Amino acid sequence: MKHIKSLNTRDLKKSAKKGGCGECQTSCQSACKTSCTVGNQSCEQLKK
Amino acid sequence: MVHLFENHGYKIALDVDSGSVHIVDDLVYELIPQIEKAVEAGKSDAQIAAEFGGGLMDMERKEAVAEILELKNNGVLFSKDEYEAQVAAFTKREAVVKAMCLHIAHACNLGCKYCFAGEGEYYGPCGLMSEEVGKQALDYLVAHSGTRRNLEVDFFGGEPLLNWDVVKALVRYGRELEKKHDKNFRFTLTTNGTLLTDDILEFANQEMSNLVLSIDGRPEVHDRMRPYHNGKGSHEGLVEKYKKAADSRNQTNYYVRGTYTHFNTDFSEDVLYLADQGFEQISVEPVVAPPTEAYALTEEDLPVLLEQYDKLADEMLKRRRAGKPFNFFHFMIDLEGGPCVYKRLSGCGAGCEYVSVTPWGDIYPCHQFVGQPEFLLGNVKDGIKNTELRDEFHNCNVYSKPACKNCFAKYYCSGGCMANSQHFSGNIYGAYEIGCELQRKRIECAIMLKVAESMDAQEEEEN
Ligand code: SF4
Ligand code: SF4
Repeated sequence: MKHIKSLNTRDLKKSAKKGGCGECQTSCQSACKTSCTVGNQSCEQLKK
Repeated sequence: MVHLFENHGYKIALDVDSGSVHIVDDLVYELIPQIEKAVEAGKSDAQIAAEFGGGLMDMERKEAVAEILELKNNGVLFSKDEYEAQVAAFTKREAVVKAMCLHIAHACNLGCKYCFAGEGEYYGPCGLMSEEVGKQALDYLVAHSGTRRNLEVDFFGGEPLLNWDVVKALVRYGRELEKKHDKNFRFTLTTNGTLLTDDILEFANQEMSNLVLSIDGRPEVHDRMRPYHNGKGSHEGLVEKYKKAADSRNQTNYYVRGTYTHFNTDFSEDVLYLADQGFEQISVEPVVAPPTEAYALTEEDLPVLLEQYDKLADEMLKRRRAGKPFNFFHFMIDLEGGPCVYKRLSGCGAGCEYVSVTPWGDIYPCHQFVGQPEFLLGNVKDGIKNTELRDEFHNCNVYSKPACKNCFAKYYCSGGCMANSQHFSGNIYGAYEIGCELQRKRIECAIMLKVAESMDAQEEEEN
Protein backbone atom coordinates (compact mmCIF):
# COMPACT_ATOMS: atom_id res chain seq x y z
CA MET A 1 0.00 0.00 0.00
CA LYS A 2 1.10 3.52 -0.70
CA HIS A 3 -0.73 5.48 1.95
CA ILE A 4 -0.83 3.00 4.79
CA LYS A 5 1.68 0.70 6.39
CA SER A 6 0.43 -1.85 8.88
CA LEU A 7 2.37 -3.42 11.73
CA ASN A 8 2.15 -7.10 12.56
CA THR A 9 -0.27 -7.44 15.43
CA ARG A 10 -2.07 -10.28 17.12
CA ASP A 11 -5.63 -10.42 15.82
CA LEU A 12 -7.79 -9.89 18.88
CA LYS A 13 -10.79 -11.38 17.11
CA LYS A 14 -8.98 -14.65 16.65
CA SER A 15 -7.73 -14.58 20.22
CA ALA A 16 -11.37 -14.52 21.33
CA LYS A 17 -11.95 -17.83 19.57
CA LYS A 18 -9.07 -19.62 21.24
CA GLY A 19 -7.68 -17.87 24.31
CA GLY A 20 -8.83 -17.74 27.89
CA CYS A 21 -6.53 -20.38 29.37
CA GLY A 22 -5.65 -18.07 32.25
CA GLU A 23 -2.00 -19.11 32.47
CA CYS A 24 -0.49 -15.71 31.80
CA GLN A 25 0.88 -13.42 34.48
CA THR A 26 -1.46 -11.36 36.62
CA SER A 27 -1.43 -7.69 35.92
CA CYS A 28 -1.37 -5.29 38.80
CA GLN A 29 -1.12 -1.57 38.11
CA SER A 30 0.00 -0.38 41.46
CA ALA A 31 3.33 1.37 41.70
CA CYS A 32 4.73 -0.77 44.48
CA LYS A 33 4.24 -3.94 42.44
CA THR A 34 5.94 -2.87 39.25
CA SER A 35 2.67 -2.62 37.65
CA CYS A 36 2.01 -4.49 34.51
CA THR A 37 -0.60 -3.23 32.22
CA VAL A 38 -1.82 -6.19 30.25
CA GLY A 39 -0.36 -4.67 27.12
CA ASN A 40 3.16 -5.56 28.13
CA GLN A 41 2.46 -9.15 28.98
CA SER A 42 2.86 -12.17 26.83
CA CYS A 43 0.51 -14.98 26.03
CA GLU A 44 1.69 -18.28 27.50
CA GLN A 45 0.31 -20.23 24.55
CA LEU A 46 2.18 -18.18 21.97
CA LYS A 47 5.41 -18.43 23.96
CA LYS A 48 5.58 -22.16 23.49
CA MET B 1 -13.53 2.18 17.00
CA VAL B 2 -10.42 3.84 15.56
CA HIS B 3 -8.07 5.90 17.67
CA LEU B 4 -6.03 8.37 15.64
CA PHE B 5 -3.05 10.08 17.17
CA GLU B 6 0.21 11.76 16.28
CA ASN B 7 3.36 11.08 18.17
CA HIS B 8 6.98 11.79 17.34
CA GLY B 9 5.95 12.84 13.84
CA TYR B 10 4.13 9.61 13.07
CA LYS B 11 0.44 9.57 12.26
CA ILE B 12 -0.99 6.43 13.72
CA ALA B 13 -4.37 4.72 13.43
CA LEU B 14 -5.07 2.15 16.11
CA ASP B 15 -7.99 -0.04 15.17
CA VAL B 16 -9.02 -0.57 18.73
CA ASP B 17 -11.13 -3.70 18.54
CA SER B 18 -8.88 -5.76 16.27
CA GLY B 19 -5.68 -4.44 17.82
CA SER B 20 -4.27 -3.44 14.42
CA VAL B 21 -1.81 -0.59 14.14
CA HIS B 22 -1.50 1.41 10.92
CA ILE B 23 0.93 4.16 10.03
CA VAL B 24 -0.89 6.50 7.71
CA ASP B 25 -0.18 9.59 5.61
CA ASP B 26 -1.89 12.97 5.97
CA LEU B 27 -4.61 12.18 3.51
CA VAL B 28 -5.64 8.92 5.14
CA TYR B 29 -5.42 10.54 8.56
CA GLU B 30 -7.94 13.08 7.40
CA LEU B 31 -10.19 10.56 5.67
CA ILE B 32 -10.49 7.91 8.38
CA PRO B 33 -12.87 9.77 10.73
CA GLN B 34 -15.11 10.76 7.84
CA ILE B 35 -15.23 7.28 6.39
CA GLU B 36 -15.76 5.79 9.83
CA LYS B 37 -18.94 7.83 10.12
CA ALA B 38 -20.07 6.71 6.69
CA VAL B 39 -19.44 3.07 7.57
CA GLU B 40 -21.39 3.47 10.78
CA ALA B 41 -24.22 5.00 8.81
CA GLY B 42 -24.32 1.79 6.77
CA LYS B 43 -23.01 3.16 3.48
CA SER B 44 -21.67 0.68 0.93
CA ASP B 45 -18.12 0.63 -0.41
CA ALA B 46 -19.32 2.03 -3.70
CA GLN B 47 -21.10 4.89 -2.00
CA ILE B 48 -18.05 5.64 0.11
CA ALA B 49 -15.74 5.55 -2.91
CA ALA B 50 -18.04 7.93 -4.76
CA GLU B 51 -18.47 10.28 -1.84
CA PHE B 52 -14.84 10.53 -0.73
CA GLY B 53 -12.91 9.67 -3.87
CA GLY B 54 -12.68 13.30 -5.07
CA GLY B 55 -12.77 14.50 -8.66
CA LEU B 56 -12.28 12.38 -11.73
CA MET B 57 -8.54 12.94 -11.90
CA ASP B 58 -7.86 12.81 -8.18
CA MET B 59 -6.02 9.50 -8.27
CA GLU B 60 -4.33 10.04 -4.90
CA ARG B 61 -7.61 10.32 -3.12
CA LYS B 62 -9.16 7.37 -4.94
CA GLU B 63 -6.18 5.25 -3.99
CA ALA B 64 -6.31 6.31 -0.37
CA VAL B 65 -10.02 5.54 -0.12
CA ALA B 66 -9.47 2.16 -1.79
CA GLU B 67 -6.75 1.32 0.72
CA ILE B 68 -8.97 2.26 3.64
CA LEU B 69 -11.77 0.10 2.30
CA GLU B 70 -9.40 -2.78 1.78
CA LEU B 71 -8.36 -2.67 5.44
CA LYS B 72 -11.97 -2.47 6.47
CA ASN B 73 -12.82 -5.55 4.44
CA ASN B 74 -9.86 -7.40 5.93
CA GLY B 75 -11.27 -6.75 9.39
CA VAL B 76 -8.40 -4.55 10.51
CA LEU B 77 -10.10 -1.16 10.38
CA PHE B 78 -13.48 -0.03 11.77
CA SER B 79 -13.84 -3.34 13.55
CA LYS B 80 -16.35 -3.67 16.34
CA ASP B 81 -16.20 -4.74 19.96
CA GLU B 82 -17.96 -8.07 19.81
CA TYR B 83 -16.56 -9.50 23.00
CA GLU B 84 -18.95 -8.35 25.70
CA ALA B 85 -21.05 -11.52 25.79
CA GLN B 86 -17.98 -13.73 25.59
CA VAL B 87 -16.23 -11.89 28.38
CA ALA B 88 -19.36 -12.11 30.54
CA ALA B 89 -19.42 -15.87 30.04
CA PHE B 90 -15.71 -16.01 30.72
CA THR B 91 -15.91 -14.14 34.00
CA LYS B 92 -18.74 -16.42 35.11
CA ARG B 93 -16.31 -19.32 35.21
CA GLU B 94 -15.52 -20.39 38.71
CA ALA B 95 -12.88 -18.16 40.22
CA VAL B 96 -9.54 -19.81 40.74
CA VAL B 97 -6.63 -18.27 42.59
CA LYS B 98 -3.35 -18.20 40.72
CA ALA B 99 -1.39 -15.38 42.24
CA MET B 100 -0.69 -14.49 45.79
CA CYS B 101 1.03 -11.64 47.50
CA LEU B 102 2.49 -12.83 50.77
CA HIS B 103 2.97 -10.10 53.32
CA ILE B 104 5.94 -11.77 54.86
CA ALA B 105 6.64 -8.88 57.18
CA HIS B 106 4.33 -6.11 58.27
CA ALA B 107 7.30 -4.22 59.44
CA CYS B 108 9.85 -2.16 57.64
CA ASN B 109 13.17 -0.59 58.40
CA LEU B 110 12.15 2.35 56.22
CA GLY B 111 9.24 4.72 56.64
CA CYS B 112 8.42 5.61 53.04
CA LYS B 113 5.97 8.46 52.96
CA TYR B 114 3.73 7.05 50.23
CA CYS B 115 3.66 3.50 51.56
CA PHE B 116 0.06 2.27 51.48
CA ALA B 117 1.08 0.45 54.62
CA GLY B 118 1.30 3.79 56.43
CA GLU B 119 5.02 4.64 56.46
CA GLY B 120 5.78 0.98 56.82
CA GLU B 121 3.42 0.55 59.72
CA TYR B 122 0.31 -0.73 57.95
CA TYR B 123 -3.18 -0.42 59.26
CA GLY B 124 -3.14 -2.75 62.20
CA PRO B 125 -0.29 -4.20 64.21
CA CYS B 126 3.21 -5.05 63.02
CA GLY B 127 4.19 -8.62 62.66
CA LEU B 128 6.14 -11.26 60.84
CA MET B 129 4.50 -14.14 59.03
CA SER B 130 5.22 -17.48 60.64
CA GLU B 131 6.36 -20.42 58.57
CA GLU B 132 3.15 -22.18 59.50
CA VAL B 133 0.88 -19.43 58.18
CA GLY B 134 3.02 -19.15 55.05
CA LYS B 135 2.67 -22.85 54.37
CA GLN B 136 -1.06 -22.68 54.89
CA ALA B 137 -1.19 -19.85 52.39
CA LEU B 138 0.70 -21.88 49.77
CA ASP B 139 -1.54 -24.87 50.46
CA TYR B 140 -4.54 -22.63 50.01
CA LEU B 141 -3.18 -21.36 46.71
CA VAL B 142 -2.53 -24.82 45.34
CA ALA B 143 -5.91 -26.11 46.54
CA HIS B 144 -7.78 -23.26 44.85
CA SER B 145 -5.79 -23.03 41.65
CA GLY B 146 -7.87 -25.56 39.73
CA THR B 147 -6.13 -26.56 36.54
CA ARG B 148 -3.84 -23.52 36.46
CA ARG B 149 -0.26 -24.63 36.36
CA ASN B 150 1.65 -21.38 36.67
CA LEU B 151 1.25 -19.92 40.12
CA GLU B 152 2.78 -16.61 41.14
CA VAL B 153 3.87 -15.80 44.62
CA ASP B 154 5.27 -12.43 45.54
CA PHE B 155 7.20 -12.07 48.76
CA PHE B 156 6.16 -8.65 49.82
CA GLY B 157 6.10 -6.47 52.88
CA GLY B 158 6.77 -4.22 54.60
CA GLU B 159 10.23 -5.43 53.96
CA PRO B 160 10.39 -9.20 53.37
CA LEU B 161 14.10 -9.39 54.13
CA LEU B 162 13.21 -8.76 57.78
CA ASN B 163 11.78 -12.27 57.72
CA TRP B 164 14.16 -13.90 55.27
CA ASP B 165 14.35 -17.32 56.90
CA VAL B 166 10.64 -17.78 56.42
CA VAL B 167 10.94 -16.73 52.78
CA LYS B 168 13.56 -19.41 52.24
CA ALA B 169 11.50 -22.04 54.03
CA LEU B 170 8.46 -21.19 51.93
CA VAL B 171 10.38 -21.40 48.69
CA ARG B 172 11.54 -24.87 49.67
CA TYR B 173 8.02 -25.82 50.62
CA GLY B 174 6.71 -24.45 47.34
CA ARG B 175 9.17 -26.60 45.41
CA GLU B 176 7.81 -29.68 47.21
CA LEU B 177 4.24 -28.72 46.42
CA GLU B 178 5.17 -28.18 42.80
CA LYS B 179 6.24 -31.76 42.37
CA LYS B 180 3.31 -33.20 44.24
CA HIS B 181 0.67 -31.23 42.39
CA ASP B 182 2.27 -30.59 39.01
CA LYS B 183 2.43 -26.82 39.44
CA ASN B 184 5.02 -24.27 38.51
CA PHE B 185 5.72 -21.59 41.08
CA ARG B 186 7.08 -18.26 39.95
CA PHE B 187 8.45 -16.44 42.93
CA THR B 188 9.11 -12.73 43.08
CA LEU B 189 10.94 -10.85 45.78
CA THR B 190 10.18 -7.16 46.26
CA THR B 191 12.67 -5.37 48.46
CA ASN B 192 13.86 -1.95 49.48
CA GLY B 193 17.39 -3.27 49.11
CA THR B 194 18.83 -1.93 52.33
CA LEU B 195 19.32 -5.42 53.77
CA LEU B 196 20.33 -7.14 50.55
CA THR B 197 23.47 -9.27 50.94
CA ASP B 198 25.44 -11.54 48.64
CA ASP B 199 23.91 -14.63 50.22
CA ILE B 200 20.40 -13.35 49.76
CA LEU B 201 21.18 -12.43 46.20
CA GLU B 202 22.55 -15.87 45.47
CA PHE B 203 19.40 -17.52 46.80
CA ALA B 204 17.22 -15.05 44.89
CA ASN B 205 19.09 -15.76 41.67
CA GLN B 206 18.46 -19.45 42.07
CA GLU B 207 14.84 -19.28 43.08
CA MET B 208 13.16 -16.01 42.16
CA SER B 209 11.76 -15.55 38.66
CA ASN B 210 11.73 -11.86 39.27
CA LEU B 211 13.46 -9.47 41.57
CA VAL B 212 11.92 -6.08 42.20
CA LEU B 213 14.33 -3.52 43.61
CA SER B 214 12.89 -0.29 44.91
CA ILE B 215 14.61 2.98 44.12
CA ASP B 216 12.93 6.20 43.10
CA GLY B 217 15.72 7.66 40.99
CA ARG B 218 17.84 10.67 41.80
CA PRO B 219 19.21 10.66 45.36
CA GLU B 220 17.31 13.75 46.53
CA VAL B 221 14.04 12.46 45.10
CA HIS B 222 14.52 9.06 46.66
CA ASP B 223 15.61 10.32 50.06
CA ARG B 224 12.71 12.69 50.37
CA MET B 225 10.15 9.88 50.15
CA ARG B 226 12.14 6.86 51.31
CA PRO B 227 13.80 7.67 54.65
CA TYR B 228 14.73 5.42 57.53
CA HIS B 229 12.62 5.90 60.62
CA ASN B 230 15.21 8.33 61.94
CA GLY B 231 14.70 10.54 58.91
CA LYS B 232 17.93 9.70 57.10
CA GLY B 233 17.56 8.93 53.42
CA SER B 234 18.12 5.36 52.16
CA HIS B 235 19.66 6.03 48.76
CA GLU B 236 23.27 5.72 49.76
CA GLY B 237 24.86 2.50 48.54
CA LEU B 238 21.71 1.25 46.81
CA VAL B 239 22.86 1.84 43.25
CA GLU B 240 25.99 -0.26 43.74
CA LYS B 241 24.03 -3.08 45.34
CA TYR B 242 21.39 -3.06 42.68
CA LYS B 243 23.93 -2.91 39.89
CA LYS B 244 25.53 -6.02 41.22
CA ALA B 245 22.14 -7.71 41.45
CA ALA B 246 21.16 -6.65 37.93
CA ASP B 247 24.43 -7.82 36.42
CA SER B 248 24.29 -11.11 38.29
CA ARG B 249 20.93 -11.70 36.60
CA ASN B 250 22.34 -10.76 33.19
CA GLN B 251 20.26 -7.60 33.20
CA THR B 252 17.02 -9.57 32.84
CA ASN B 253 14.22 -10.77 35.10
CA TYR B 254 14.59 -7.92 37.52
CA TYR B 255 13.33 -4.38 37.79
CA VAL B 256 14.56 -1.33 39.50
CA ARG B 257 11.33 0.36 40.29
CA GLY B 258 10.34 3.69 41.65
CA THR B 259 7.27 5.70 42.41
CA TYR B 260 6.86 9.25 41.25
CA THR B 261 4.73 11.74 43.13
CA HIS B 262 3.63 15.35 43.08
CA PHE B 263 7.14 16.19 44.32
CA ASN B 264 8.94 14.94 41.22
CA THR B 265 6.69 15.60 38.29
CA ASP B 266 9.88 15.75 36.19
CA PHE B 267 10.18 12.00 36.68
CA SER B 268 11.72 11.36 33.26
CA GLU B 269 14.92 12.62 34.88
CA ASP B 270 14.67 9.84 37.42
CA VAL B 271 14.19 7.21 34.75
CA LEU B 272 17.18 8.55 32.84
CA TYR B 273 19.20 8.73 36.03
CA LEU B 274 18.57 5.02 36.52
CA ALA B 275 19.41 4.28 32.90
CA ASP B 276 22.63 6.26 33.26
CA GLN B 277 23.60 4.13 36.26
CA GLY B 278 23.53 1.14 33.94
CA PHE B 279 20.10 -0.37 34.61
CA GLU B 280 18.32 -1.83 31.62
CA GLN B 281 14.99 -2.78 33.20
CA ILE B 282 13.33 0.24 34.70
CA SER B 283 9.90 0.93 36.04
CA VAL B 284 8.88 4.26 37.50
CA GLU B 285 5.22 4.82 38.06
CA PRO B 286 2.61 7.16 39.42
CA VAL B 287 1.85 6.96 43.11
CA VAL B 288 -1.45 5.44 44.23
CA ALA B 289 -2.66 7.81 46.92
CA PRO B 290 -5.75 9.38 48.39
CA PRO B 291 -6.18 12.92 47.03
CA THR B 292 -5.77 14.37 50.52
CA GLU B 293 -2.05 13.54 50.64
CA ALA B 294 0.41 16.31 49.78
CA TYR B 295 2.37 13.97 47.52
CA ALA B 296 -0.71 12.85 45.54
CA LEU B 297 -0.74 13.80 41.87
CA THR B 298 -3.07 16.63 40.99
CA GLU B 299 -5.06 17.76 37.97
CA GLU B 300 -2.51 20.57 37.50
CA ASP B 301 0.34 18.07 37.32
CA LEU B 302 -1.23 16.32 34.40
CA PRO B 303 0.03 18.38 31.44
CA VAL B 304 3.55 18.23 32.85
CA LEU B 305 3.38 14.48 33.34
CA LEU B 306 2.04 13.84 29.84
CA GLU B 307 4.88 15.86 28.40
CA GLN B 308 7.33 13.88 30.50
CA TYR B 309 6.22 10.64 28.89
CA ASP B 310 6.75 12.10 25.43
CA LYS B 311 10.14 13.36 26.45
CA LEU B 312 11.07 9.98 27.81
CA ALA B 313 9.87 8.19 24.70
CA ASP B 314 11.94 10.52 22.52
CA GLU B 315 15.02 9.93 24.61
CA MET B 316 14.51 6.17 24.57
CA LEU B 317 14.24 6.24 20.83
CA LYS B 318 17.47 8.21 20.61
CA ARG B 319 19.27 5.78 22.87
CA ARG B 320 17.96 2.76 21.04
CA ARG B 321 19.15 4.19 17.77
CA ALA B 322 22.51 4.86 19.35
CA GLY B 323 22.75 1.22 20.45
CA LYS B 324 22.15 1.94 24.14
CA PRO B 325 18.60 0.76 24.71
CA PHE B 326 16.83 0.28 28.02
CA ASN B 327 13.36 -0.96 28.85
CA PHE B 328 10.82 1.24 30.52
CA PHE B 329 8.18 -1.04 31.84
CA HIS B 330 5.20 1.11 30.95
CA PHE B 331 6.31 1.51 27.37
CA MET B 332 6.66 -2.18 26.79
CA ILE B 333 3.89 -3.57 24.72
CA ASP B 334 3.65 -6.90 23.05
CA LEU B 335 1.68 -6.33 19.87
CA GLU B 336 2.30 -9.73 18.32
CA GLY B 337 2.35 -12.02 21.34
CA GLY B 338 0.19 -10.22 23.86
CA PRO B 339 -2.62 -11.81 25.80
CA CYS B 340 -5.99 -12.85 24.44
CA VAL B 341 -9.02 -10.58 24.74
CA TYR B 342 -10.29 -12.37 27.84
CA LYS B 343 -7.24 -11.45 29.77
CA ARG B 344 -7.29 -7.96 28.33
CA LEU B 345 -10.83 -7.23 29.34
CA SER B 346 -11.24 -9.03 32.62
CA GLY B 347 -9.28 -6.71 34.89
CA CYS B 348 -6.38 -7.13 37.27
CA GLY B 349 -7.93 -10.07 39.06
CA ALA B 350 -7.68 -8.60 42.55
CA GLY B 351 -9.97 -10.37 44.95
CA CYS B 352 -10.36 -13.50 42.89
CA GLU B 353 -7.40 -14.58 40.75
CA TYR B 354 -5.03 -12.57 42.87
CA VAL B 355 -5.17 -12.16 46.65
CA SER B 356 -2.99 -10.81 49.42
CA VAL B 357 -2.29 -12.61 52.66
CA THR B 358 -1.30 -10.86 55.88
CA PRO B 359 1.20 -12.21 58.45
CA TRP B 360 -1.80 -13.65 60.31
CA GLY B 361 -3.23 -15.40 57.29
CA ASP B 362 -6.04 -12.96 56.57
CA ILE B 363 -6.98 -12.71 52.92
CA TYR B 364 -7.59 -9.35 51.21
CA PRO B 365 -8.34 -8.57 47.56
CA CYS B 366 -4.86 -7.14 47.05
CA HIS B 367 -2.04 -5.48 48.93
CA GLN B 368 -3.65 -2.05 48.56
CA PHE B 369 -6.69 -3.13 50.56
CA VAL B 370 -4.84 -4.95 53.31
CA GLY B 371 -5.90 -4.02 56.82
CA GLN B 372 -9.12 -2.26 55.82
CA PRO B 373 -11.73 -4.31 57.70
CA GLU B 374 -14.48 -3.78 55.14
CA PHE B 375 -12.28 -5.54 52.56
CA LEU B 376 -11.45 -8.64 54.57
CA LEU B 377 -12.29 -11.69 52.47
CA GLY B 378 -11.41 -14.52 54.83
CA ASN B 379 -8.28 -16.34 55.89
CA VAL B 380 -6.05 -19.10 54.64
CA LYS B 381 -7.31 -21.61 57.17
CA ASP B 382 -11.04 -21.32 56.60
CA GLY B 383 -10.97 -19.94 53.09
CA ILE B 384 -12.94 -17.03 51.67
CA LYS B 385 -15.96 -16.21 53.77
CA ASN B 386 -17.09 -12.95 52.26
CA THR B 387 -18.09 -14.34 48.87
CA GLU B 388 -20.25 -11.32 48.13
CA LEU B 389 -17.19 -9.08 48.23
CA ARG B 390 -15.23 -11.59 46.17
CA ASP B 391 -17.95 -11.56 43.52
CA GLU B 392 -17.99 -7.80 43.50
CA PHE B 393 -14.30 -7.83 42.62
CA HIS B 394 -14.74 -10.74 40.25
CA ASN B 395 -17.36 -8.86 38.26
CA CYS B 396 -15.31 -5.72 37.95
CA ASN B 397 -14.06 -5.54 34.39
CA VAL B 398 -13.95 -3.23 31.40
CA TYR B 399 -17.63 -3.74 30.64
CA SER B 400 -18.80 -3.11 34.16
CA LYS B 401 -16.88 0.16 34.41
CA PRO B 402 -18.79 2.85 32.54
CA ALA B 403 -15.68 4.92 31.78
CA CYS B 404 -13.81 2.05 30.16
CA LYS B 405 -16.32 0.86 27.63
CA ASN B 406 -15.50 3.48 25.03
CA CYS B 407 -11.88 4.03 25.95
CA PHE B 408 -9.33 3.19 23.29
CA ALA B 409 -6.92 1.96 25.93
CA LYS B 410 -9.16 -0.75 27.29
CA TYR B 411 -7.40 -3.68 25.64
CA TYR B 412 -4.07 -2.59 27.09
CA CYS B 413 -5.18 -1.25 30.44
CA SER B 414 -7.83 -3.79 31.32
CA GLY B 415 -9.84 -1.35 33.37
CA GLY B 416 -7.36 0.24 35.69
CA CYS B 417 -6.60 -0.21 39.34
CA MET B 418 -9.55 -0.85 41.65
CA ALA B 419 -7.66 0.55 44.61
CA ASN B 420 -7.28 3.81 42.72
CA SER B 421 -10.96 3.80 41.85
CA GLN B 422 -11.79 3.20 45.48
CA HIS B 423 -9.58 6.10 46.57
CA PHE B 424 -11.00 8.54 44.08
CA SER B 425 -14.60 7.60 43.55
CA GLY B 426 -15.42 5.65 46.69
CA ASN B 427 -16.10 2.41 44.86
CA ILE B 428 -14.13 -0.06 42.79
CA TYR B 429 -16.21 0.49 39.64
CA GLY B 430 -15.38 4.17 39.40
CA ALA B 431 -12.69 5.84 37.32
CA TYR B 432 -9.59 7.74 38.27
CA GLU B 433 -9.28 10.31 35.52
CA ILE B 434 -5.65 11.30 36.17
CA GLY B 435 -4.59 7.67 36.10
CA CYS B 436 -6.54 7.13 32.89
CA GLU B 437 -4.96 10.10 31.14
CA LEU B 438 -1.52 8.83 32.06
CA GLN B 439 -2.40 5.33 30.98
CA ARG B 440 -3.61 6.49 27.58
CA LYS B 441 -0.49 8.54 27.05
CA ARG B 442 1.78 5.63 27.95
CA ILE B 443 -0.02 3.38 25.51
CA GLU B 444 0.32 5.94 22.73
CA CYS B 445 4.02 6.24 23.46
CA ALA B 446 4.43 2.48 23.58
CA ILE B 447 2.74 2.06 20.21
CA MET B 448 4.78 4.90 18.74
CA LEU B 449 7.99 3.16 19.85
CA LYS B 450 6.86 0.00 18.06
CA VAL B 451 6.04 2.02 14.98
CA ALA B 452 9.45 3.66 15.05
CA GLU B 453 11.13 0.31 15.47
CA SER B 454 9.35 -1.08 12.47
CA MET B 455 10.08 1.99 10.34
CA ASP B 456 13.74 1.90 11.34
CA ALA B 457 13.95 -1.77 10.39
CA GLN B 458 12.35 -1.07 7.05
CA GLU B 459 14.74 1.76 6.35
CA GLU B 460 17.68 -0.45 7.18
CA GLU B 461 16.41 -3.10 4.82
CA GLU B 462 16.07 -0.59 2.03
CA ASN B 463 19.59 0.73 2.48
S1 SF4 C 1 -7.54 4.13 30.81
FE1 SF4 C 1 -9.17 4.39 32.31
S2 SF4 C 1 -11.05 4.42 31.09
FE2 SF4 C 1 -9.43 3.52 29.83
S3 SF4 C 1 -9.61 1.32 30.13
FE3 SF4 C 1 -8.10 2.11 31.61
S4 SF4 C 1 -9.25 2.51 33.47
FE4 SF4 C 1 -10.73 2.31 31.81
S1 SF4 D 1 -6.61 -3.22 42.51
FE1 SF4 D 1 -4.85 -2.01 41.84
S2 SF4 D 1 -3.25 -2.44 43.32
FE2 SF4 D 1 -4.79 -4.04 43.53
S3 SF4 D 1 -4.10 -5.71 42.18
FE3 SF4 D 1 -5.52 -4.45 41.01
S4 SF4 D 1 -4.22 -3.00 39.91
FE4 SF4 D 1 -3.01 -3.88 41.60
